[in-house]
Amino acid sequence: MDPECAQLLPALCAVLVDPRQPVADDTCLEKLLDWFKTVTEGDIFFPVGSLNLTPCKKKVWELLGEERSSRGTPGAVPLVTPGLGRPHRVQCRAAAGAPLPGGAAVPCAESPGPEFWGPLLLTPPGRNLRSPGKLLPVSSGAVDTIFSLQGDSSLFVASAASQLLVHVLALSMQGGAEGQPCLPGGDWPACAQRIMDHVEESLCSAATPKVTQALNVLTTTFGRCQSPWTEALWVRLSPRVACLLERDPIPAAHSFVDLLLCVARSPVFSSSDGSLWETVVRALSCLGPTHMGPLALGILKLEHCPQALRTQAFQVLLQPLACVLKATVQAPGPPGLLDGTADDATTVDTLLASKSSCAGLLCRTLAHLEELQPLPQRPSPWPQASLLGATVTVLRLCDGSAAPASSVGGHLCGTLAGCVRVQRAALDFLGTLSQGTGPQELVTQALAVLLECLESPGSSPTVLKKAFQATLRWLLSSPKTPGCSDLGPLIPQFLRELFPVLQKRLCHPCWEVRDSALEFLTQLSRHWGGQADFRCALLASEVPELALQLLQDPESYVRASAVTAMGQLSSQGLHAPTSPEHAEARQSLFPELLHILSVDSEGFPRRAVMQVFTEWLRDGHADAARDMEQFVATVLQVASRDLDWEVRAQGLELALVFLGQTLGPPRTHCPYAVALPEVAPAQPLTEALRALCHVGLFDFAFCALFDCDRPVAQKSCDLLLFLRDKIASYSSLREARGGPNTASAEATLPRWRAGEQAQPPGDQEPEAVLAMLRSLDLEGLRSTLAESSDHVEKSPQSLLQDMLATGGFLQGDEADCY
Amino acid sequence: MPEIRVTPLGAGQDVGRSCILVSIAGKNVMLDCGMHMGFNDDRRFPDFSYITQNGRLTDFLDCVIISHFHLDHCGALPYFSEMVGYDGPIYMTHPTQAICPILLEDYRKIAVDKKGEANFFTSQMIKDCMKKVVAVHLHQTVQVDDELEIKAYYAGHVLGAAMFQIKVGSESVVYTGDYNMTPDRHLGAAWIDKCRPNLLITESTYATTIRDSKRCRERDFLKKVHETVERGGKVLIPVFALGRAQELCILLETFWERMNLKVPIYFSTGLTEKANHYYKLFIPWTNQKIRKTFVQRNMFEFKHIKAFDRAFADNPGPMVVFATPGMLHAGQSLQIFRKWAGNEKNMVIMPGYCVQGTVGHKILSGQRKLEMEGRQVLEVKMQVEYMSFSAHADAKGIMQLVGQAEPESVLLVHGEAKKMEFLKQKIEQELRVSCYMPANGETVTLPTSPSIPVGISLGLLKREMAQGLLPEAKKPRLLHGTLIMKDSNFRLVSSEQALKELGLAEHQLRFTCRVHLHDTRKEQETALRVYSHLKSVLKDHCVQHLPDGSVTVESVLLQAAAPSEDPGTKVLLVSWTYQDEELGSFLTSLLKKGLPQAPS
Repeated sequence: MDPECAQLLPALCAVLVDPRQPVADDTCLEKLLDWFKTVTEGDIFFPVGSLNLTPCKKKVWELLGEERSSRGTPGAVPLVTPGLGRPHRVQCRAAAGAPLPGGAAVPCAESPGPEFWGPLLLTPPGRNLRSPGKLLPVSSGAVDTIFSLQGDSSLFVASAASQLLVHVLALSMQGGAEGQPCLPGGDWPACAQRIMDHVEESLCSAATPKVTQALNVLTTTFGRCQSPWTEALWVRLSPRVACLLERDPIPAAHSFVDLLLCVARSPVFSSSDGSLWETVVRALSCLGPTHMGPLALGILKLEHCPQALRTQAFQVLLQPLACVLKATVQAPGPPGLLDGTADDATTVDTLLASKSSCAGLLCRTLAHLEELQPLPQRPSPWPQASLLGATVTVLRLCDGSAAPASSVGGHLCGTLAGCVRVQRAALDFLGTLSQGTGPQELVTQALAVLLECLESPGSSPTVLKKAFQATLRWLLSSPKTPGCSDLGPLIPQFLRELFPVLQKRLCHPCWEVRDSALEFLTQLSRHWGGQADFRCALLASEVPELALQLLQDPESYVRASAVTAMGQLSSQGLHAPTSPEHAEARQSLFPELLHILSVDSEGFPRRAVMQVFTEWLRDGHADAARDMEQFVATVLQVASRDLDWEVRAQGLELALVFLGQTLGPPRTHCPYAVALPEVAPAQPLTEALRALCHVGLFDFAFCALFDCDRPVAQKSCDLLLFLRDKIASYSSLREARGGPNTASAEATLPRWRAGEQAQPPGDQEPEAVLAMLRSLDLEGLRSTLAESSDHVEKSPQSLLQDMLATGGFLQGDEADCY
Repeated sequence: MPEIRVTPLGAGQDVGRSCILVSIAGKNVMLDCGMHMGFNDDRRFPDFSYITQNGRLTDFLDCVIISHFHLDHCGALPYFSEMVGYDGPIYMTHPTQAICPILLEDYRKIAVDKKGEANFFTSQMIKDCMKKVVAVHLHQTVQVDDELEIKAYYAGHVLGAAMFQIKVGSESVVYTGDYNMTPDRHLGAAWIDKCRPNLLITESTYATTIRDSKRCRERDFLKKVHETVERGGKVLIPVFALGRAQELCILLETFWERMNLKVPIYFSTGLTEKANHYYKLFIPWTNQKIRKTFVQRNMFEFKHIKAFDRAFADNPGPMVVFATPGMLHAGQSLQIFRKWAGNEKNMVIMPGYCVQGTVGHKILSGQRKLEMEGRQVLEVKMQVEYMSFSAHADAKGIMQLVGQAEPESVLLVHGEAKKMEFLKQKIEQELRVSCYMPANGETVTLPTSPSIPVGISLGLLKREMAQGLLPEAKKPRLLHGTLIMKDSNFRLVSSEQALKELGLAEHQLRFTCRVHLHDTRKEQETALRVYSHLKSVLKDHCVQHLPDGSVTVESVLLQAAAPSEDPGTKVLLVSWTYQDEELGSFLTSLLKKGLPQAPS
């Protein structure tokens, strides 16, 4: 703690405890507590070190504990649970009445006040408390208080209490009566015994909330603690847990599943623990479809588990899709997902019960399979073809083109028709399926259904976006002819069908669709711009022309995407067909984009233009390379006037690329990189500097150095440092210091600082600029800029000052908001 | 028992980070997804881990609804949808959909610019998030799915702000978001119909306040600006990009025009054009006056307000500058402030809330020596003024809205606990409506009585009308018919129609009863005696003696028989249909008393 804060704290305490003084809001109190946490990190007890804060500490705690609403209990203590999840200021209302835990460590209070809770709560899990055995509320009512808080009406309090209970349990097991860790089989410490009795009792309770609390405590315990005693705990409590499966309905099924999975994941348990797997097997058959899926997924994600259980879990996961396939397959076709097994009646019932239960089950199943697909531990063999078949069927049920083969199928047709929620989930999964290997027919099947989806006039914007994303994934992962650079036999035909659909979507009335179509076009041309088949199909379509028109779209997001797409197409010579009638369209895109940069009222398109220009410069695009200096000068001039700091920052990025091309690339800072000999600049240094002056790079960079937006100044500082380092290696220009140029440069500095352009671009002399570079403390500036601009405001001193100065401001009814 | 459950994850007894979870008839809806400007860490966003505990977000939540574009209501949205992983629909009005990304982008830029935060949502994430948005019109009923529907109502407050009704079957909840019950310079007053929801969730920012007239504050504002420029000073007004800035621009523009002032007014960052564009686009969302005059002159095309260039800050002489951001915590507004702070002729007017730590907060709390970067101390000599222009309903307005919607219960959010307590009592006492004010993380559970809608066939209604009984709105009437449940719908139809629709044959159900009479005479004579007795007792009924010896009274049939074992006793067999159940019961009890002695 710095001396300024130490000085302010007593005064603040005085203000806080004075009932006549207005008190700062809860956010300030929370920040104050955060600060206390940081200053107490060196010592578990508060206060710390040599600072005598004893008079303050109790007052601050009292204030923090004081219920500010009228319904509170005086003397209540806030429980803050740093390190135990997200910190929340929670009110421990009942704490006031609980007796103090015995022991000399907490000598001064009649009730477990901050002195008791503070050390306990401010200690991150895993850190040893001093003499934890003495601190723990072994025989006191304090643990009862935590038990009662588990049932608090506030989720935050209840959750914090459960976590606290786990914390206390872990601490009590860490240090028994003799300070030795407890061994399995030995006697449990009294405090742990009480907690376990409570958990056992709760597990047997008829009230579901009590069971949920107990299950959550156990889940947290097994998730956090991996000492041998947790195994003994499970041995003791598992029969009670297993008994829950005998109840109808099974209480707290969600928490029950979480617990089983958490125990199964814990490294403490050996994979041969039969009782756990028995319970899991039973749970898989007893739970309802809502909870069965997450359990099955969790089992399949385990690294070690019995093979029979994995098989059962996978069957559970596949069941809904198997039902869908069975209900729609007309004739015996390819093997289904679960051939030979009977339909699970509960699954069928859920699919038929109502529209929302059917959609819910299918969405969950598809999401679970999507999660499983990329994992190395997914079941093998993976039924890629059947899963694809089922997903395609689901999509066809949604768009109404599936033919039912049974009454269940007929019902599903009616239920799923137009169901956007299921469509979205199916498209996500379909996209993921593209990563699996499969025969060519699979690709054809997937692309066909995706094309239908993209074509369908009823598809919603979100569905179309997902369809575009899935199509892109399938296209980019489609098998190519070995040893051949083209796209194989299937893709060209598909592209010929796709582009008319893309044209239609580029004219869609919803901006979301136009934007998704442009994003799709950009990605596809980025990957396939060099492929002859793709180029041919694209140029034969009207897609480039439509994309060009979208540069004038009323929606700024679409304009920005159109800029990116056209920039990409133009880089690959795809922005217009080569035929003579399109000669006009083939003209340079540069003036068009420059116009957007100059006049567009929104930042997104302007930023996109700058990114395109930077890419063009980097890749030597014809428009940039034709007259590079003119190109850079024009762009920087427009960018320097932009009101959006991200455009200005992007301008500096472009300037950096230009510098690299003029003076050689920046030095690598990687210590492991092989030091390559310095690449000689493309032209003599004086000439190069003159070119930089000519394009107005210095004007732009020096103005940016004093920009009110920190990232711009930071970027400019980096650029100028790079420039200075480059120049330093040339002896001919080293000795300009102190000449007449320095004075003129220093005179210019305030004008740059004010944001004015010093001279017309190109008028500066390189020597003057160099003098300026040397006169500036760029390193100092860089370290100042490296700190966030609110570091002063965020400081504890600022907080204490603000809290002290609050008087008067918060009075009255003008506590404002937005 | 069906119930509605409400859990605020933010805005429960506090202001900022609005995020309320509502569970209604098995559907889960998130109302607003805001951020808290007072925090720089994870606490700025609501704690979504309490939802992810219930499984996948997209499976658990049916939809997210955003009431308006202020960041304390939508600032966490890209984080929630693109980083936490919600992939379902997000509903908001068209203006909110258009303006939201601008504010989010503004906020992102400040976070990255000011704090250098790298792990923050990106522009692409904002766009991807906005692509999940389904825009709604006012008063349009939108089906989220087969069961859940939502409807937006005008809320005033800012352009595009809406209150939302969430309805599943007969149960409904109304969420007000932020609203204003009095029109201002550019927006109208909030309005809702008498929708009688089970629960009204209302903001309560000014729960204890009866606000003074906005005209007074406007006059005060103009006076201060005018006085400062008159004495040659400069006025800085830090604002956020859209919203209040436009209101103040209209105010100054009108004043400058009226007073024929020549002092320049500037607006930084080119937002005027943008605002202009949106206000033009969404002119139906503005107030009546703006809509009326729009044909002749667009109020948002300013004559006196020009775009600001940062070199202008050093120009001599008076000027007024609107600069972003609004709390003087970064960028242009802070840069201008640093230049002008040392001159006592200048003035800074803070028109809104500033969070702790910002320069705005410091100067408003009276600090006059500010430590800036590099241990520099900035002495603030310029005048500092605070004027709240935030557009929230005051206590009177809240009561008015509750009265308008007539909810069964009220739940207060977006306010301070003490003030809420006062309003809660007022609502319970004056409106006799139960009121709740949960803290963040606390769940309020409200039992609801299920009401099942029943359709009535036209035929049945016509028959009822034919009986000459005219329907009365306030007087319930008993209507007999057959209730049919088909495809989860209930309908009340005539029994004939029910038989026809269901393809059933008609069966007649008759109740029968035996009555023993002491009578030695023959059966025919007993029957005749019964006939005479009933004829004399039931004067208003049609009593008949049929040729086969049986007697009928309406549908009640009576036949006399002689049991073989006791010749002195006769048995009367009585049967009747369910329509004449009362009459049948009456006759059996009458006959059980015996027949009158025959005249000798």
